[in-house]
Amino acid sequence: MAEQAQQNSALSAAVADVANGVALALDGEGDSYALSALLAQEDTVALAAVRVLGADVLAPYALRGDPARGSTDRQVVRRALAAYPPGADASDVSLWSYRGLVEASRAFLPETGADGVDGADGGGRDGEGGEPGAERPPEPRPGDAWVQTDPWPALAHRASQLAALSLPSLAPALAVGLAARTDDLARGFVRAVRRRDWLQAAGVGRWLVRAPDVPDSLGLAAGLVFVRRMSGSDPRVVLHTTAAQRFPGGGPW
Amino acid sequence: MATELTAPVETAALAAEVEGLLDSAEPEGIYRDTRECGGGLLLAALLLISPPTPRAPKTDAR
Amino acid sequence: MVSGGPPPARRAHPDADLLDTVAAGALDWIGAMRGSFRLPADVTTDADPNLTLKPLGELAELAQVTQALHPVAALREAAADLLAFAWKETRGGELFVELVRGEPVATYPVELYGVFARAGLRHPGVEELVGATTSLRRWRVAREDHTRTLNVLNAERRIGLPPHADFDTVLAHTGLGLRPEPWALDRKAAYGITHDVFHATDWGRTPGGLPAPLAGYLRLWLPAWTETWAEERLWDLVGEFLAVSACLPGAPYDLAAWRVLAAAQAPDGAVPETGGVPPPGASPGEAFTACYHSTLVAAFAATLARAAGHPDPPESEATP
Repeated sequence: MAEQAQQNSALSAAVADVANGVALALDGEGDSYALSALLAQEDTVALAAVRVLGADVLAPYALRGDPARGSTDRQVVRRALAAYPPGADASDVSLWSYRGLVEASRAFLPETGADGVDGADGGGRDGEGGEPGAERPPEPRPGDAWVQTDPWPALAHRASQLAALSLPSLAPALAVGLAARTDDLARGFVRAVRRRDWLQAAGVGRWLVRAPDVPDSLGLAAGLVFVRRMSGSDPRVVLHTTAAQRFPGGGPW
Repeated sequence: MATELTAPVETAALAAEVEGLLDSAEPEGIYRDTRECGGGLLLAALLLISPPTPRAPKTDAR
Repeated sequence: MVSGGPPPARRAHPDADLLDTVAAGALDWIGAMRGSFRLPADVTTDADPNLTLKPLGELAELAQVTQALHPVAALREAAADLLAFAWKETRGGELFVELVRGEPVATYPVELYGVFARAGLRHPGVEELVGATTSLRRWRVAREDHTRTLNVLNAERRIGLPPHADFDTVLAHTGLGLRPEPWALDRKAAYGITHDVFHATDWGRTPGGLPAPLAGYLRLWLPAWTETWAEERLWDLVGEFLAVSACLPGAPYDLAAWRVLAAAQAPDGAVPETGGVPPPGASPGEAFTACYHSTLVAAFAATLARAAGHPDPPESEATP
């Protein structure tokens, strides 16, 4: 299937590499993290991987912000956003993820005033080539009705795809909406583990760790360890489970 | 929105792949159950009422 | 289908048509297959009890519930007929005298007899015998499986024997009582949980019989179990989960799962144990083995859901 093909692609490999680097940084307190150092080269594939992982590429900064060191990474993110904007028929997930990366950049790597305008370091892939003030990427307004209306299996699937938005201070409205459906997400976690969909389970788990009233009987902490091990330490799963450990609670309630 | 310029074919393909990874379909569920002794004999093992006491030590039917 | 019977105390079930179609179809098929429930001449000696006594016991237990609880008179009558048939197959209970004499420390004859005793179908000779066998210290030796022990305790209660252990204590040690991580169930554990519920609620007759924490646990996780085992197409387990749901306070109703289960029912009323219906070439014996359990469960679950009356609105607005 498409899924299979993607798993062997250069992009999938790049995504795994970056996920691995982020997870390691999260494990090590994140004090020497640099996204740019994770990218083999700033090629289109590396930028695509940044876009796929979304806000998570900046997760170590959320742990221990150091905006002074983040200037290069801010440029990397900007180029990734410019290179892979959501298309006209982009899914809500794509829009949300895009917005999550925008918000993460703003929240974890705020402008210091020392940044030059994009282009100084030869990125050159500005999608907004003709627009002035291109350094401020567009912020799409993705739909969120699904948070209330999706049946629980679909809700959990989508929440998992957007697990990066569970980082502190991103998409607070989404977090509140999902927190209102904690039991449904918990059911989604159960379903995902039963289906051996470790990535989905780990992603749902990230929302659950910050939900105020996760049912005890879910056994979430043990479940995240289980999922991580059962996945064979798949880098994206490890990124999720590590993030779940490093960012427990802390929701806007 | 974003326009042409010299967007190589590779980038367009990558953009599609990015979309696919972001909004990926659920993989098919994988169900594999615990193997008990005589694993295939589901009916015998899962008793609505009761498994009888084995009469003679014949090969395990449970 | 003739409708009638005692007017339901609560509002009618909004999905009554579907539930009654499932139950009626299942009972039709069971009735047509009743010959396959007949006990062979060597039932007390060489026949495989899993293929003879077990199906008959299930027939008696589940038909009895439909006979007692279903709001549709025609279905109650069909079920009563099946229960009478089963009792007749035991030769009015004489079968159990032979079984207990043959295997005095086995629990299964007592458990099976208890099913009939629950319906008031009794045999004095059996009761004398089990009075002697179940009063032994031997009878109190712990069994491997706590769920099974619950069934033994139920049988003792039904027959009027003193309980050999405390029900709640045993329940606390079962796969339900321990409330395992809901994502860690395998098939056997799932069957264990459904049967813990059936034993604790006398097969759905006393829905309040579950301790509140256990009912809460089930209410939370049943949707996920039902959904995934439906995806796996294990229809008997799906039916059991739906029955369990009907045993909970408020009887939460999983509309989507009921539709999936109903779709798995063959036109002749059979519900396959797993996967699809047996291929056209299957012998009646093969079809029986492949379908009898899940078909009985479907009738049972549909009866309980129907008898529970109008269910609570789904807990989550978006539950499918």
